[in-house]
Amino acid sequence: MKKTAFHFLRVGLAITFLWIGVLILKNPESWSGYLQPWVYGLLPLPIEQAMLGTAILDIVIGAMLLLDVFTWIAALVASLHLVIVLTVSGITDITVRDIGLLVAGLALMIDSIPQKMLNKIKLNK
Amino acid sequence: MTSYALLFTLSAIGISETMYLIRKRIASQKPVCPVGDNCSLVLESKYNKIFVIPNDILGLLFYITISFISAFLVIGVEPLVFWDFIFKISILFGSILSLVFTYIQWRIIKAWCFWCLMSAFTIWLMGIIIMSTLLINNII
Repeated sequence: MKKTAFHFLRVGLAITFLWIGVLILKNPESWSGYLQPWVYGLLPLPIEQAMLGTAILDIVIGAMLLLDVFTWIAALVASLHLVIVLTVSGITDITVRDIGLLVAGLALMIDSIPQKMLNKIKLNK
Repeated sequence: MTSYALLFTLSAIGISETMYLIRKRIASQKPVCPVGDNCSLVLESKYNKIFVIPNDILGLLFYITISFISAFLVIGVEPLVFWDFIFKISILFGSILSLVFTYIQWRIIKAWCFWCLMSAFTIWLMGIIIMSTLLINNII
């Protein structure tokens, strides 16, 4: 990916994750309304605490992306997080937006994997 | 709420920009200068720090403060009046300081730095958003 485009994508995704984290912290209960009913039974802790954990995870991912620190790990966790979000929220009107974010996260991760790691993967083949 | 989202976005852009400048300075590399070629002339001038603190560090601290306070105001962390006051004072102070630095580039160094101007416009835009919000709410 061209370097400038990479940074635009990184900062844009960082702002999205940070702001979503802030909004979940503001009102965790209302965000839990996006979850499918079957998810409640699987949670090992109260829903509010689970949503607060999600908010903190979102903020950490956003901060790492924004500061360009371990970007590939942040993008990997962001992508996994979005896969979980897509799974637990079911198909709604906003599913397509989450798919867009997931693909953006994957693009960032693929483009920021360290060369050392890529070389190791190639050597193992 | 909408204005805080915009201010948070602008502060995040400022954080990424100042982080870039800090990294380049620590690595002793010249930053990319998308418009013109005088960025280094400004960034390496004697006006690049206030007392002993480099301007990029001060900028980063400013943007981090603004992002935290806008998040506090949205989440509702008390005392809201205090945060709101600090928020407005910080942006007013930042806007004035940006004016001073822009004047220094224009009249004293006689060179323009893309990143410094971008930061100045970011802070002025924050000021415009605050002013617009106050006008809409009939506070001014």
